[in-house]
Amino acid sequence: MAILMPASDQAVLDRRDAIVAALRTIVPGEGVIDSAAEMIPYESDGLMAYRQPPMVVVLPDSTEQVSKVLKYCFEQGIKVVPRGSGTSLSGGALPLADGVLLGLGKFKRIREIDFDNRVVVTEPGVTNLAISQAVAHAGFYYAPDPSSQIACSIGGNVAENSGGVHCLKYGMTTNNVLGCEIVLMSGEILRIGGKSAENAGYDLMGIITGSEGLLGVITEITVRILQKPETARALMVGFAEVEAAGECVARIIGAGIIPGGMEMMDKPAIHAAEAFVHAGYPLDVEALLIIELDGPGVEVDELIGRVETIAKGCGSTTLQISTSEAERNLFWAGRKAAFPAVGRISPDYLCMDGTIPRGALPRALARIRDLSAKYDLRVANVFHAGDGNLHPLILYDANQPGEMERAEAFGADILRCCVELGGVLTGEHGVGIEKRDLMPEMFSEIDLNQQQRLKCAFDAQGLLNPGKVFPTLHRCAELGRVHVHGGRLAFPELPRF
Amino acid sequence: MDTPRVRDAKDVEQVVRAAIASEQPLEIIGHGSRRLVGQPMATNAVLELSALNAVTAYEPNELIITVQAGAPLADVLSLIDSKNQQFAFEPMDTSALLGVSGAGTIGGMIGAGLAGPRRIRAGGARDHLLGAHAVSGFGDSFKTGGRVVKNVTGYDLCKLLAGSWGTLAVMTEVTLKVMPKPESERTLVLRGLDDVTANRAMTAALGSPYDVSGAAHLPNSAFRSAAGALAGLGAPGQATTLLRLEGIEASAADRASSLGKTLAPFGAVEVLHDAVSAAIWSSIRDVLPFAAQGALGAWPVWRIVCPPASGGALGQQLARDTGGDVIYDWGGGLIWAALPPKPDAQAALLRARVDAAGGHAMLVRASELVRRNVDVFHPQSGGVAALSERVRLSFDPKNILNRGRLLRAVAT
Repeated sequence: MAILMPASDQAVLDRRDAIVAALRTIVPGEGVIDSAAEMIPYESDGLMAYRQPPMVVVLPDSTEQVSKVLKYCFEQGIKVVPRGSGTSLSGGALPLADGVLLGLGKFKRIREIDFDNRVVVTEPGVTNLAISQAVAHAGFYYAPDPSSQIACSIGGNVAENSGGVHCLKYGMTTNNVLGCEIVLMSGEILRIGGKSAENAGYDLMGIITGSEGLLGVITEITVRILQKPETARALMVGFAEVEAAGECVARIIGAGIIPGGMEMMDKPAIHAAEAFVHAGYPLDVEALLIIELDGPGVEVDELIGRVETIAKGCGSTTLQISTSEAERNLFWAGRKAAFPAVGRISPDYLCMDGTIPRGALPRALARIRDLSAKYDLRVANVFHAGDGNLHPLILYDANQPGEMERAEAFGADILRCCVELGGVLTGEHGVGIEKRDLMPEMFSEIDLNQQQRLKCAFDAQGLLNPGKVFPTLHRCAELGRVHVHGGRLAFPELPRF
Repeated sequence: MDTPRVRDAKDVEQVVRAAIASEQPLEIIGHGSRRLVGQPMATNAVLELSALNAVTAYEPNELIITVQAGAPLADVLSLIDSKNQQFAFEPMDTSALLGVSGAGTIGGMIGAGLAGPRRIRAGGARDHLLGAHAVSGFGDSFKTGGRVVKNVTGYDLCKLLAGSWGTLAVMTEVTLKVMPKPESERTLVLRGLDDVTANRAMTAALGSPYDVSGAAHLPNSAFRSAAGALAGLGAPGQATTLLRLEGIEASAADRASSLGKTLAPFGAVEVLHDAVSAAIWSSIRDVLPFAAQGALGAWPVWRIVCPPASGGALGQQLARDTGGDVIYDWGGGLIWAALPPKPDAQAALLRARVDAAGGHAMLVRASELVRRNVDVFHPQSGGVAALSERVRLSFDPKNILNRGRLLRAVAT
């Protein structure tokens, strides 16, 4: 394993039997799993190249149990790794050998649907899609739609601040959650926010969202729901050059149009997807855009026309407009199946997740092409073009010695390139362990120290999900020290009163 | 006495470091347009950022602008307006309400985090702040976020900076999301509804698929004078309920017609267009009915945020129990309440009602004496208050920045 995790605490491992017994008094019956065979499903999450059996798996079914488990671990100095559905692509739920894996899978109940306030109050183990399904009869849905939405839990969505193809227009998880019940590592249960548009005081909900399970364990979430747009139609536009497709994206945005989704695929991705789902994608283009417009029929019809004009002005070589729901879904079928489609043409692939300024797209793709040659590995690109979120899929074969390491080095170079181009290391998959050691590419030690100080405010002993996000761990006492610089007044003329 | 002119983040670092060394708490200001908000501070020196006023980069096609924190909000708004763009959260101009001049700076806009009517659809300041450079109470310049809309790299400290009233860090430069301005807008007007019925009408509108971007209710009032563009709506003695639709012309017109049908059970619907509609919403955004120069200028003003569907009942009860006046925004989720002056601004009564409704209340306008005696910001429950304090200390352990502005207990 190339990623070093925090050293195991032998004293904790030596007490394993006693710890398991103590956890059983809190979570009775099958809620504590300690046999090696039964823990296998928990060894890994969506980042399957990394595996580690936990010391023990605990599956509580109430906030009170979560609180007692955390309090016990806090008092005993035992590390805890929270886990939702285990679909993280960045290794956010990778267990620790000396840690408790705390699974929230039993929190499966939607607690309240409140159409008047346009919110759903749910337990964290409910899947993203199940929320939309629960309110669909009244025309509502939950907007963020990560591609794993059938499986991924809303608790995991909050932990990772998940996105999806529609977040250009409707925002990410952070823009769609209002409140939560959270249990701190000490076992303390807090309620943050609620059904109001804003919570009082500091925006703690904002900091909890996307904190990757390092700040607390969420046991209830209040999400906003929206009315489904009246209609949606899509254009599928092919270009002979990537640059022209990039220009088309820029001009659409520049014209003041914010599509519901705007996706791009490059030639290898188009070919893989077409071979898999036969969506009718043109095979002789270098880039394909799928642009979806949603809203009232009259608005969608008008904007489809405007986008068509822009696309033709950018030199599109093929252009189709969906005339039915079936056709729109067909346009999307290839894009939505892009990852498994690539899985068919390669034994293994790495899915990267950088974001760049939209305008830097042609430069980024050129760099990726060069790197592909350098590392002698194929790559297919799918791209949330509307918001600059790039998903290069690096194709490799883990059975070939050294290929996985080469693929990881290739991926790291892509992410460095994203930062160089003015972008960021991760747009929606999270840092986890995958990009942890790349954090210094984007943040200075001072930047990272400030983030870790915040971690200390929630978990001063660093017991919750250690080894994720931050490349170097510091003691909170050390981070909290204020260095007095000289003690000289730099601005003696400062007005005083 | 000279005004210190910090020119860049390095200067700000030096001032904060000097303040740490001499245990000199600093009041952080841009133009000082919101100095009257918050607990009276235990600071005795001012750090003024108005010289950090450059636009670092404006990229309309990327939908972002990067500006220094001291840049005047009005200038930045007119710059992005020239490209037909806007801050979608409709930042409130507090000057009329507070009786001061000028809309202040970008840093002040983020620090206050006061969003206008479109918050129900587009989110608040916190949703539009993509990245920031700031100097913490450790005297260190740090950055958070980035210059792209989709980013989950590291903790999102931007969320904490927005609405922190300068108590966590001194922002020096921020990157904000900008959005295209709608091509046209419509406002549907209903008249004569009581608060609870109006709340139901707004709930029906916001639960419709017509993408309502503003939902406000002005109850009839014996106290208020007609203010700004609201004067054009008729006498303040008559309640008006307002619903805004924005978008391309064909869409706004189409939805206005559909929403009109949805609202038919609530009475006859009038439709206002474009400039007339826009002027009304900026008057609501800036709470002009309670302007300092208006009839209720001497009354303290509360800003109450609550679950939207319970706003009508809460506001009606508050107006009755306090003898005050209320107006509603955010479909009932935001209540502005002007109350007859009392030494405690009727805080105990108001907060008991607001707590029961699951909301929170901030005393936005009151005399210094009243603000000294009242919790300006809503008191939080024990565990959340303790966590918030630990969060604050993680940025500013020596309590240098805007000391005591948020918490009365600290102002000693």
